[in-house]
Amino acid sequence: MAHQAHSYHMVDPSPWPILGAAAAFLTTSGLTMWFHHNNPYLLTVGLLSTLLVMFQWWRDIVRESTFQGHHTPTVQKGLRYGMVLFITSEAFFFLGFFWAFFHSSLAPTPELGGQWPPVGIQPLNPMEVPLLNTAILLASGVTVTWAHHSIAEARRKQAIHALTLTVLLGFYFTGLQAMEYYEAPFSIADGVYGSTFFVATGFHGLHVIIGSTFLLVCLLRLIKYHFTSGHHFGFEAAAWYWHFVDVVWLFLYISIYWWGS
Amino acid sequence: VYLLFQALRQVSQRTISTASRRQFENRVSEQQKLFQEDNGLPVHLKGGAKDSLLYRTTAGLALFGTMYTVYYLLVSSMPKKPN
Repeated sequence: MAHQAHSYHMVDPSPWPILGAAAAFLTTSGLTMWFHHNNPYLLTVGLLSTLLVMFQWWRDIVRESTFQGHHTPTVQKGLRYGMVLFITSEAFFFLGFFWAFFHSSLAPTPELGGQWPPVGIQPLNPMEVPLLNTAILLASGVTVTWAHHSIAEARRKQAIHALTLTVLLGFYFTGLQAMEYYEAPFSIADGVYGSTFFVATGFHGLHVIIGSTFLLVCLLRLIKYHFTSGHHFGFEAAAWYWHFVDVVWLFLYISIYWWGS
Repeated sequence: VYLLFQALRQVSQRTISTASRRQFENRVSEQQKLFQEDNGLPVHLKGGAKDSLLYRTTAGLALFGTMYTVYYLLVSSMPKKPN
């Protein structure tokens, strides 16, 4: 049997990259079909195939690492670089929407009544649900750090408790934010205020859902004994992403919710 | 109250039945054996029949969708005949 003379991971041939590309093709074309021809079926097929590819691709990574042992320290270093670069790219993504917000709010046009918030807009009170949401995300940052320490100290029960709390806090945030969206006195169609508010907070909400799901998967893996006290990068990546989501919310809260009211 | 607490403690320590306790046992070594078997299977099919089913469903959806999308794009790019 041939053995490699290096510490890198030469992956088995996999169908997920090309099927993922096909799924992206179907999703974007499906959006077009839905917008222009009122037909949602292609979009549904696209989203479904995207979910299937994501599930199987990440399942295979768990198999390659936990079950086949391919994630050497060298490989893990590459994964760390990858996650850092990905989160950096996401930071730039949000930077664009913050730019748009400040562009419109620092010099409000006459069409808005020369003021921010624009005439006719009743902004949400930053001291009500938004403040609670801030507390929730900050608390979840504490619980995820507690979970990390517990994993590193091989305290299984504590780690499970801490990570479960983190996931619950994440879902609590999402539930409250959904309720805020429903009850808000303004919509995305209400001028540039509505656009900047809902696009920025909307993408943030999507990232909270993604982060909560990532943490939930980590919780399931933690329960199934996949992590060791010295090797648990999947969890670390989820924790980094979660802290990033928390920081973006703090910027959103300070600038859009508080300064912008 | 202390006796009640003791009783509750005993109950909660015995609630997990044997069946569900098996679900919380460490099965990693079994899975390591399965996925390191020298059977030439690629990792995306190495878990068994469920893997093949899921793969074929995904590939089927993607293939069918792609063909339909290409057809739709060709049709959309054709000019409509005026009456």
